[in-house]
Amino acid sequence: MESAIKIEGLTKEYLNKTTGQMVRAVDDLHLEVYRGEIFGFLGPNGAGKTTTIKMLLGLIFPTKGDAWIFGKPIGDVSIKRQIAYLPESPYFYEYLTGRQVLDFYARLFGVPAGERKKKVDTLLDMVGLSRDGDKTLRNYSKGMLQRIGIAQALINDPELLFLDEPTSGLDPMARIEIRDLIIRLKQQGKTVFLSSHQLLEVELICDRVSILNRGKLLKAGKLDELLPSGRVEIVAENVSDDGVIAKIRDAGGVVQRQDGRIVVQQPDDASVNRVVDIIRSASGTIRSLTPQRRTLEELFVSTIEEVEKR
Amino acid sequence: MTAVMAIAYNTVREALSRRVVLLFLFGALVLIILSPLFSFLSPREELTLLKSLGLGVIQLASMFICIVMGISLIPAEIERRTIYTVLSKPVQRYEFVLGKFLGGILTMLFNILFMGIVFFAVVAWRATPKQALDLWKGFMMIFFQMSILVSLAIFFSVFLTPFVNFFMSLGVYIVGTLSSVTESLMKGENRTAIQKGIGAVLHYLLPQFGNFNVQNKIIHPETRIINEGVYYIQNIGYAILYIAVLLIIAVIIFDRREV
Repeated sequence: MESAIKIEGLTKEYLNKTTGQMVRAVDDLHLEVYRGEIFGFLGPNGAGKTTTIKMLLGLIFPTKGDAWIFGKPIGDVSIKRQIAYLPESPYFYEYLTGRQVLDFYARLFGVPAGERKKKVDTLLDMVGLSRDGDKTLRNYSKGMLQRIGIAQALINDPELLFLDEPTSGLDPMARIEIRDLIIRLKQQGKTVFLSSHQLLEVELICDRVSILNRGKLLKAGKLDELLPSGRVEIVAENVSDDGVIAKIRDAGGVVQRQDGRIVVQQPDDASVNRVVDIIRSASGTIRSLTPQRRTLEELFVSTIEEVEKR
Repeated sequence: MTAVMAIAYNTVREALSRRVVLLFLFGALVLIILSPLFSFLSPREELTLLKSLGLGVIQLASMFICIVMGISLIPAEIERRTIYTVLSKPVQRYEFVLGKFLGGILTMLFNILFMGIVFFAVVAWRATPKQALDLWKGFMMIFFQMSILVSLAIFFSVFLTPFVNFFMSLGVYIVGTLSSVTESLMKGENRTAIQKGIGAVLHYLLPQFGNFNVQNKIIHPETRIINEGVYYIQNIGYAILYIAVLLIIAVIIFDRREV
């Protein structure tokens, strides 16, 4: 697969002015993001996510390591024609109107005047701000500013988007709209590098994720690989005999009685057939059999906790 | 160049929406308009007083607008993080600095023109046409003086905090205005080698703002500047060169600065 971003040993050290010690915000990061995917970049506050994005955009400089975007080294300004950035809690020129601020960003790309107006109108419409385009940004709510942020990120029809907490401050409806927009961007062949704390959202839309903590990459991979389905939940009726339940427990099942039913949690696929056989041979009725996938939230918490315990 | 112009245009728009800039401009305009009322201080030399007061007000107001605006042109973009969305676009850092400078001097041009037109209107009906037109030479030299000051404030702003920059820019402006003093320190007969050295450093290193003060010639038309045309061209050339050097150093520093 063609890579959109390739990072090799990226490291960023800062001097902590209070303690006088060097702090590693990003520590020997190796990562590859493929063209056309939505890549989730996860980590607790202070993990080094924004620092990594800022290095990739040339806003700050790596202490060590290299990175390439579409094969060109970071720092090459020409790649910025193909990329876009939505910072976390974006700030804009509050004395400008929504329309003026988008016009300003379009000018930075050298979009001709006639085309600019059309582009600005389309983007305002896309993010649902057509009616508020002539209001100054100081009168915008946080959600509206976030929408303007997304609109400015799309001004150059980018190939790669860096979105840092794109749904922060948005109401549930707006979140869904942004989520759908990200999916549409992927369908158009764009690559999205998504840094987010909304784990459910990431789980819903990302192809691959990585987890970063204290500047170190802890896990990276496809969601299916990171969140394997292993556990199976079996719900059965007409099984009340203690002897049968003991047999299920012997087969590794964790049994709970609920209103005349039993709910069995099987830790892996292997023993499911044995438990089903036990239930059926006792004339029990299987009501459901559901594979249980670990959630991204569980993976995230366990990964971070594991490292913190060391 | 499109990016430079876009940044410059935006800078002008922002500067002219800042209350502190408008306050200085408004205060200066009020003083200029009311300046004829001060003629009672020197009834026989009303025009001299009027020109002296008006040019002084324009220079002082321009200087404060220039420093207050110049010290925050780049730091404000970093502090409120608007720079992230600008430098993540295809904008070179030198284009950003150049755009900010261009916006700064266009703002000064607007302010000086605005104050100049009002002052010209106040003076024109009291003076001969030549005397009134001479005012524009003064406005022009104030503009070039302020252009150096904008570049100086931008230069300091890439490595100093706005607070320190305010006093540095103001200090350099004051010392630079006294170029005759630094020159006498450098050339004086009774000076030690160290004093002469310090004088030479101050004289050649700091911008010679004093050379742009042609108010004396405008206030007292009987005073002559030898080779007037050459004098203006030389000083304008000096301003352009000085600004270019300051901006090149500012770009070199800013290019390595993390934002």
